[in-house]
Amino acid sequence: MRSPSSLKQEFLKRWMRGLQRCTSSKKDMNVLERKKVIKLSADLAIASARNGTTSWSRALIANASRDNDNRILAERILGPESDILIKRVSTSVGTVSCNRKIRSKKILKRSCNSVRRVRKGTHLPQKVLAKSIAKRLVQKRTQILKRLVPGGEFMDELSLIEETLDYIAYLRAQVDVMRCIASATELINHMNIGGNKMV
Amino acid sequence: MEPNLGTIVRSISIGPNREETGLESLQFREEIHRLMTVPPENGSSFTELLQLPETQAMELLHSAHSDEVVPVPLSGEPLHGINDDHKSYLPSFNGNLTFPSNKVLIERAAKFSVFASGEHSPETSSVPSDSSANLEKVKSEPAETDSNPNSSQLLVSDPAVNIKNQRSEKRKEREKKGKGCTKKSKIEISQDAEKLPYVHVRARRGQATDSHSLAERARREKINARMKLLQELVPGCSKISGTALVLDEIINHVQSLQRQVELLSMRLATVNPRVDFNLDSLFAPESGSLADSNFHSMVSPLLWPEIPFNGNRQQHQQQWNFDALHRPLWGREEDNHTFITMENSLLNYESANSASLHSNQLKMEL
Repeated sequence: MRSPSSLKQEFLKRWMRGLQRCTSSKKDMNVLERKKVIKLSADLAIASARNGTTSWSRALIANASRDNDNRILAERILGPESDILIKRVSTSVGTVSCNRKIRSKKILKRSCNSVRRVRKGTHLPQKVLAKSIAKRLVQKRTQILKRLVPGGEFMDELSLIEETLDYIAYLRAQVDVMRCIASATELINHMNIGGNKMV
Repeated sequence: MEPNLGTIVRSISIGPNREETGLESLQFREEIHRLMTVPPENGSSFTELLQLPETQAMELLHSAHSDEVVPVPLSGEPLHGINDDHKSYLPSFNGNLTFPSNKVLIERAAKFSVFASGEHSPETSSVPSDSSANLEKVKSEPAETDSNPNSSQLLVSDPAVNIKNQRSEKRKEREKKGKGCTKKSKIEISQDAEKLPYVHVRARRGQATDSHSLAERARREKINARMKLLQELVPGCSKISGTALVLDEIINHVQSLQRQVELLSMRLATVNPRVDFNLDSLFAPESGSLADSNFHSMVSPLLWPEIPFNGNRQQHQQQWNFDALHRPLWGREEDNHTFITMENSLLNYESANSASLHSNQLKMEL
């Protein structure tokens, strides 16, 4: 595991590079467009800082480059390494995982139905019932978590937890850096405005 | 990975607590066995089963010293609750635990447990075997408390090391599960049976699931360790017990972080509506107003409030000045990042900034 400071540095470097590439090619954006660009570039930067070795980072890049209008933006932000990254991502995540998702959902539904049928048919003792309720609660939470972590739909329990660990660490770094930059720019703006007034 | 070490240490420190919960779960499991209807067994396995506590208790007596008295009343307790009219037999029954070599007493106790179970079939049903299995488990307890710290380091991948270690390992598993999944415990009992010389009816089932259950157990172990790590990572989550609640906290944390990213990007976008991209102003040496070193030194403590202001900075800036002289232009920021080796990236970023400013200033002076 990398130290948080080197991670932040890496993220900042990539983010700045992506933003520079983006802004050099496209001027005159409104607030929403700018926000979208900033968000996208930050996500891609944090994902590429992970070097596409974890599922969540790959899924982030894949999601960013899925939509048509986003794809151009993503390629521009990622720059020269975009081809390699996106290719790697699309081969690993791409269509295979979609099929797997559908199949696993079907299986899940079928197994749920059978379990329910059994439950209705027999009167189970209270403890077994409570256990099954607890199990279902955990399963529901796991489903939600899978939706939150990018690419989480295709993970099993163990890798989901590992990826969540990694993802939280990287998200924290991202939030820290972004907050610092935001406050810095706000302050500089303040100073600039104050300076102009003085002049 | 170094987090593993941490979890091992933690699991050792947790040890005693688990011991208690283990005792509770044992009683709980006994009750479950009573409630459950178990397939009948042949009688021959039963007599052989009786030999088992004897030999094992002997070996356990060596390792377990004074703790042995403690679990005995616990084992007797559920029996007390069920049949009050046979109380007179119970002292002798408990005596079996401490003097396992007495065969007559063991047999009597077994008979007693058969008849005490009442409404079940008078032939040797599954109930005595279950109770004797419980017996055996209870006896093995002190030894397991001794070997518990060692066992936490053991993995399931090496099954044939030592009976004691294995059993304590299983025991740990059982404790970890806590909920006492009845199906699992059945499998475990049959695995216990497998190691020992007699043939169990359910052994076939145990054999079939043996490697799978081992793998499953290793997986569970890993998941639990990772959950512990997550619990440590997410603030305010370490005191919560229960997988669902912990997952709730994790979900909240991830959601809040994602929302923060969203909000911050919005804030960054709105911060400066005129300039196309605001962050460029941080880097741009042409902006003029920023190139004032006095201004920068005034702003910097405000800009980075989280960073302790260390004295090294002056020295570093000197160095930057020197470097900046040899540097024709500050074109690419990668260069600035690569030759900086400091602990904090933000300070780093700032100093890179200041370096560029200094170089700019120097250029202007020249």
